[in-house]
Amino acid sequence: MIELRNDTLVISFPEIHPAARLRISFQRTLRIPDDGRSYPLPPSIGAFPVRHVDDFAARVSPQWLERGGVMLPMFQAEAMWLDFGSDLVPEHGVSYPFAVKIAAGKINAASGEDWREGLHRGPQDYLVAPKQPWLDGYCVEKGFIRQFVAMPLGSGYSAEEQLTGKAEHGGVQIAVYPMKRAVFERRFPKRPPPPPFAARAAMGPPMPSAAPMDCCMESAGMGLAAGGRMRQEIYDDPYDFYDWDSAVTSRCFVHLCNSLVWQSITGSAPPHPAPTADSYTRAGLPWFDYYSDGLAALPGSDRLAGVKSVAELSAEKGDAVLPENTPVSPENIHLIRAGLTPGQVREGEF
Amino acid sequence: MTVWSVYYIVHSMNENVFGSCIRERRLALRADDRAFSLRGVAQAIGVEPSYLSKVERGLQPPPSEHTVRALAGALGEDPDMLLALAGKVSSDLLRVIRRRPQLFAQLIRQLDQLPDHAVLRIVREVRDGTW
Repeated sequence: MIELRNDTLVISFPEIHPAARLRISFQRTLRIPDDGRSYPLPPSIGAFPVRHVDDFAARVSPQWLERGGVMLPMFQAEAMWLDFGSDLVPEHGVSYPFAVKIAAGKINAASGEDWREGLHRGPQDYLVAPKQPWLDGYCVEKGFIRQFVAMPLGSGYSAEEQLTGKAEHGGVQIAVYPMKRAVFERRFPKRPPPPPFAARAAMGPPMPSAAPMDCCMESAGMGLAAGGRMRQEIYDDPYDFYDWDSAVTSRCFVHLCNSLVWQSITGSAPPHPAPTADSYTRAGLPWFDYYSDGLAALPGSDRLAGVKSVAELSAEKGDAVLPENTPVSPENIHLIRAGLTPGQVREGEF
Repeated sequence: MTVWSVYYIVHSMNENVFGSCIRERRLALRADDRAFSLRGVAQAIGVEPSYLSKVERGLQPPPSEHTVRALAGALGEDPDMLLALAGKVSSDLLRVIRRRPQLFAQLIRQLDQLPDHAVLRIVREVRDGTW
């Protein structure tokens, strides 16, 4: 079952395990330059507001109601990343694992294939959360993605339109499958809770305030297109394929609308647009790099690699769709390493 | 038997359930890790060892919500379960009930006979449609 709590999708499977609960939130971020260079991970500048489409049944299209799910507003000048999280199951010492399929316009973000139900390997069409903590875009090459950026549906820029020739779905599609309980309990046997003195530290990317910028879009529906190139690995599934309970799934359609339409549907103002990569970097604010030892990266999808980025396509078309695309040279890059246990001292470079 | 003696028996029974539950859990953990001694746990949750000992033996009523929560954290127990054993309602639940007391009292009484899976379904789900 999926609930919407504080702009976060909470996907739980109480019938499988009381701790089988995954949170997915949609983080607003700046649009990295789409200039062929590779950039580190940009920050979060806060979560997108998310609402049930059913709450605005009188003002959204019948098609949105038919698909159900939730909606969020996106400026063309900003980008999105997905944040996956779940609580530690204390007696097992790990978070409950999930296989998560993410698509945009029903084009799978990991494999580039058209949407189909179920999980598949060869190519792998899902990621394993929360081992994979974030997803910033389409997996185009081993270790590199193209950022999820918003473009009006029908303008020809979205990956869906480039690959299928149709502007039919837009939005983001999510399906989550839990690990089988017996497998979870076998792989991660119970252990006593940490001693009562263990300290726990939390760390998250900073949230700088956004510089106001005047940019909005004309059409209602939005699709995700391929933006700038970024260093991010989508990890190969470290478990066995049959560890996943493919008979149990929760799905959600996330509709994207431009910020003006959001205001007319919901009556509330969307958040301020994101700052530009240039102004963010000039302010000396941090970018991020994430390392996870021991996990292999997926090779990337040839089909997605063939999708043209917004800058490439706009140059071909002679459009000027990008308000700002100045190359930047991030110097303040924070390294985040996966898998540190509470209290473990991180070894740096010296 | 007066009303007060019934109250006393019920009350002291609750205390014993709470006290013996946390003592049992602590001793089980202590078998593997000495940090779960009476002194160790008391220090971790910010109370005197003698006080924790009395609570465990039912000689003191269960502690405050804050301390019960700290105890749940230290022993790896569910705070709502320990609060219920202590005869307390979590303050966030109390706030929810106080906003619409009659409605929630009615709802909880109706839920009493429902199986667990049916209770878990009483949330607002994100509706999945056709796509």
